[in-house]
Amino acid sequence: MKLRNLILSAGFLAMAQNASAEIMASGSAMAWQCAPCHGTNGQEFVEAMPPLAGMPAKQFIDAMIAYREGTRPAIIMDRVARGFTDEEIKAMAYWFEKQPVKQWENTSLNEALEADATARSTGGQQ
Amino acid sequence: MSQLENKQFDSKITRRDLIKLFGATAVAGTGIFGASQQAYAKSAAHVVVLGGGVGGATLAKYLRFADPDVKITIIEQYPEYITCLRSNDVIIGMHTLDELTFNLDTIKNKYNVNVVIDTVIGADFDKKTVRTAKGDTFSYDKLVVSPGIDFRFEDYEGYDATLAEGAFPHAYKAGPQTLELRRQLLALPQGGTAIIATPQNPFRCPPGPYERASFFAEYFKEHNPTAKLLVLDPKDRFTKDVPFKKAWERLYGYKSDNSLIEWVSGSEGGRVLRLDAKNMTVETEGGSYKADLINIIPNQRAGKLAQIIGLTDSSGWCPIQRDTMESALHKEVYVLGDSSIADEMPKSGYSANSQAKVCAQAIADALKGNAPGKAIYSNVCYSLAGQNYGVSIAAIYEVRDGRIVAKGKSAGVSPITDKPAQPILEAVYQKNWQREFVKDVFS
Ligand SMILES: Cc1cc2nc3c(=O)[nH]c(=O)nc-3n(C[C@H](O)[C@H](O)[C@H](O)COP(=O)(O)OP(=O)(O)OC[C@H]3O[C@@H](n4cnc5c(N)ncnc54)[C@H](O)[C@@H]3O)c2cc1C
Repeated sequence: MKLRNLILSAGFLAMAQNASAEIMASGSAMAWQCAPCHGTNGQEFVEAMPPLAGMPAKQFIDAMIAYREGTRPAIIMDRVARGFTDEEIKAMAYWFEKQPVKQWENTSLNEALEADATARSTGGQQ
Repeated sequence: MSQLENKQFDSKITRRDLIKLFGATAVAGTGIFGASQQAYAKSAAHVVVLGGGVGGATLAKYLRFADPDVKITIIEQYPEYITCLRSNDVIIGMHTLDELTFNLDTIKNKYNVNVVIDTVIGADFDKKTVRTAKGDTFSYDKLVVSPGIDFRFEDYEGYDATLAEGAFPHAYKAGPQTLELRRQLLALPQGGTAIIATPQNPFRCPPGPYERASFFAEYFKEHNPTAKLLVLDPKDRFTKDVPFKKAWERLYGYKSDNSLIEWVSGSEGGRVLRLDAKNMTVETEGGSYKADLINIIPNQRAGKLAQIIGLTDSSGWCPIQRDTMESALHKEVYVLGDSSIADEMPKSGYSANSQAKVCAQAIADALKGNAPGKAIYSNVCYSLAGQNYGVSIAAIYEVRDGRIVAKGKSAGVSPITDKPAQPILEAVYQKNWQREFVKDVFS
């Protein structure tokens, strides 16, 4: 409970996140589902699919909403994006924003755990 | 953020909270984190994973993300894993088996997982132990089972595992059979006939047989233009059938008089009843077909291990709790991947990987005494209808009314457009995806 207060104090974004916590998967749980195409924790920088790690949250949110609404051309991302609500998209965006901007193979387990913890504590998710 | 308020100190502080407050590096420096890098604390829970394929390897890696301390052991029967993914490519020489071969070294070293190469032969769910062929016993707190599939040879008179190892490979587990099927394709006489018989639902990789059929046709087009492929199907529809058939029309003259592919549906008698190996003949509900190459991909059920230890129901597959992947038959036992009954999710590597992540979080939550969070699953299957022609299916899934179903309006297959860029890009993505996917599983 105390922790939740702490997170709420992180600001309005976290609050929006918490409000829907009951009915929504966590940011990391959703972000993990992107890994087969975008790399573990979004850290794939050499393939055709864009890396998501470190992407500014606004860029992620705008892109996903545009895919979902069909205003941005897509191969499969239109179909994928239609599976997510605005709140879910935001939670993923904040989580990915905090992941290290480097190839997964060069990232240590501790770096990954730290980035995950940072993402969670700044409203990336609860 | 103001972190050090007094009220924080009277709450139960978990490791994650500590990391939150101080950062993982600092916590590691205190030795709290370090414990999991070297030796496990005596009290650490033990999660034993049976099968180090797609589901098992992903589970171990992501469980380490979800719980830095838990003790994890994978028991896998083979020292190397050959992915079925892209194994159809090997048949036409687009890949070698070597390129599809992986091991658990990174899982072991980077994620601090015990890897045991041995075959599991039994489990005692009351004592919470599993037994191996080499005679070892392992105790678990949580057991995860991801053993892949087994074949129902008994559905076909005259066909069995021995024939599959010999002149009639199904090549639906990658390995020597894949190479034998390639040899047979290359040896097909000019103007010869090949048969691919596809399985009844549900089965591993629903687009797999049709991708293979496409590759046969593409190979014929270039090297054996008077040959014919007959696809014998017990079903009237198959996954991505609309874009697949469109591709066949565009590339292989499908529906024309000199089509390289002919597809016989279930209603047209496509179901195979019998193989006459000696006379190279297949008997179906609609009649008999003679061929120079016969590739029967048999009906399937959960991996043998799941059957032996009692995780299957009368369907031959393993019923699970949809939000955690925990077996519906035995507590503290989880079933992943092809063996599990996952409703709308296809039996794909992507699905096994997706389920492993949900399961990893659920196990970590359960070990901490927390209720499971909301489950979210996904699947994207890219297939090739030709080396440069991709078709895809994608969906995000959630649990509704006790079933795993498509979430929002996410489910869909490739649209048919007149833009050649769409299938070409899908083929590019297909290749990128495969490289990326195995990294998410094994590194
Ligand atoms: C031709 C073909 C193409 C495919 N293409 C794709 C694709 O493009 N995309 C996709 O997503 N999926 C694809 N798939 C499907 C994918 O391969 C499977 O869905 C996936 O491997 C399922 O994972 P799993 O963990 O359930 O089983 P597996 O990956 O098969 O792992 C099971 C593991 O358990 C081990 N095991 C079994 N019994 C025991 C025992 N008693 N003791 C110890 N170890 C044991 C096995 O050795 C194996 O390593 C394809 C499949 C085929 C056949």
